[in-house]
Amino acid sequence: MKNFDYARPQDVQSAAAALGKAKGSRPKGGGTDLITLMKSGVLTPPLVVDLASIPGLSGVSRLETGHFRVGATTTIAEVAEHPELARVARVLTDAAATTATPLVRNRGTVGGNLCQRPRCWYFRNLDYVCSKKGGQTCYAAEGENKYHAIFENVTCNIVHPSNLAPALWALDATIHVAGPTGEKSIPVADFWVRPEEDISTENVLEAGEVITGVSFAPEGASTGSAYHEVREKQSYDWALVNAAVRLDFEGEVVKEARIVVSAVAPIPLRLEACEKILKGQKFSDALAEAAGKAASGGATPLRDNAYKVHLIEKCVKNTILDAARRAKVRSGEPR
Amino acid sequence: MHPPDSEKPGLSRRGFLKGTGLSVAAVGLVKSATAAQEAPAAEVPTLSAAQTHEISFELNGQTTQAKVRTGHTLLETLRDQLDLTGTKLVCDQGSCGACTVHLDGKPVNSCLVFATDVAGRQITTIEGLAKNGNLHPVQAGFLHEDASQCGFCTPGMIMSCKALLDRNPSPTRDECKEAISGNICRCGTYFNIFRAVDHAATLMKGGR
Repeated sequence: MKNFDYARPQDVQSAAAALGKAKGSRPKGGGTDLITLMKSGVLTPPLVVDLASIPGLSGVSRLETGHFRVGATTTIAEVAEHPELARVARVLTDAAATTATPLVRNRGTVGGNLCQRPRCWYFRNLDYVCSKKGGQTCYAAEGENKYHAIFENVTCNIVHPSNLAPALWALDATIHVAGPTGEKSIPVADFWVRPEEDISTENVLEAGEVITGVSFAPEGASTGSAYHEVREKQSYDWALVNAAVRLDFEGEVVKEARIVVSAVAPIPLRLEACEKILKGQKFSDALAEAAGKAASGGATPLRDNAYKVHLIEKCVKNTILDAARRAKVRSGEPR
Repeated sequence: MHPPDSEKPGLSRRGFLKGTGLSVAAVGLVKSATAAQEAPAAEVPTLSAAQTHEISFELNGQTTQAKVRTGHTLLETLRDQLDLTGTKLVCDQGSCGACTVHLDGKPVNSCLVFATDVAGRQITTIEGLAKNGNLHPVQAGFLHEDASQCGFCTPGMIMSCKALLDRNPSPTRDECKEAISGNICRCGTYFNIFRAVDHAATLMKGGR
């Protein structure tokens, strides 16, 4: 790995200022993704700015509004094991507990998880100057594309790697960002950038901007949420497909639904077509099945990944069923 | 939770600057950079890419110094500089767990930790488990259940198993599987490892 200037600011403003000064500089949370990218030579930042050393940027707190805030450098393990978050944002703690390995979860952070780069093996291999690295070709389009996108795979076939992203979107969370021009709050829905808009990045963060935390409303008394992912290997693997679901009930009727999937497109996708099938309807297993079926609408699988079309349907259906079951348990109704 | 670094002895902002041998030239660089700002930000302690930095940390209970570059991982520093070769280098990307050590009591991949990040913190490696010639119960459990074949994953496995038993004295089989899910055994000794953890749990509760 090439050496780099390593800044350890004590506050977010100085971090943003330092990042804004040196072109190609990178913020670091736990470093679990950044270090592998630097070892492979895909990233060679002249300056790395350590956010983990900034006091007050980690931890879970309750805001005056009643919302919960999770600091950017809170580790994935802390989220996964947080008893209160498990009560008010189960979709998030499930997604965190499913992320990587216990070893990586002890280092990896919430902000870093949202900003990690795609796992596409062409992107990660320095020998392939793919379109995401400034070249002309997406090698996955005609190459080995078993793990690539089945939706929105026109320009670039990566899948978004974050487990927490769909979970936070299911909670309609807000991402808090600090940068050279001050602080701003971005709804998770507006955080992502499609390859067609800017192929060099996956999110809206500009140079010098860093995530300071995420916040969301706790689940209500008749809400249930769940996160599921399908993997080749249960012990430790990247998701082939995943789904995050939040259902708000009014009695037996689905009042509001949030269905977000990932690992299937360059950015996480909210499936409004599936939500529409559930909304305003009396919940049933058949309804979940129908919503699951709708999850594959518009899929454009590649040579090796048509299996994902089937998986996403089942994954969405099962996650909906799980969320509904939890809502029932919470509101005290027998199953 | 770790306390903020600024509260730690040996890693106060001043201590960090001093302890890491930050050169006057580097400070000058930072100053000139911030001077260009309209509202100058606080001076940011920065380790230069061009220099070697001395770090001090607690390694297996002993205060230890190492001279590292910013691009050095904790794993490289342990093996190549401090001669602690029990911690293994295999995938070098956090996928296999052979390099597992404890950082402030928590198991992490030492290949994914910058050496400079452990200044002022506690590291435990496989070499730090046996005390006065007596094996740690997890090591004894591995011996008792013959939980090694080629042995290359063993140090990392033991560190993950120890971390599990430190926080959960009576883990279920599923909890054990989850705890070592970041450690790969290419020989497939997993069932012996599960039994070794059971045995170690018994030993740690005073059983035999």
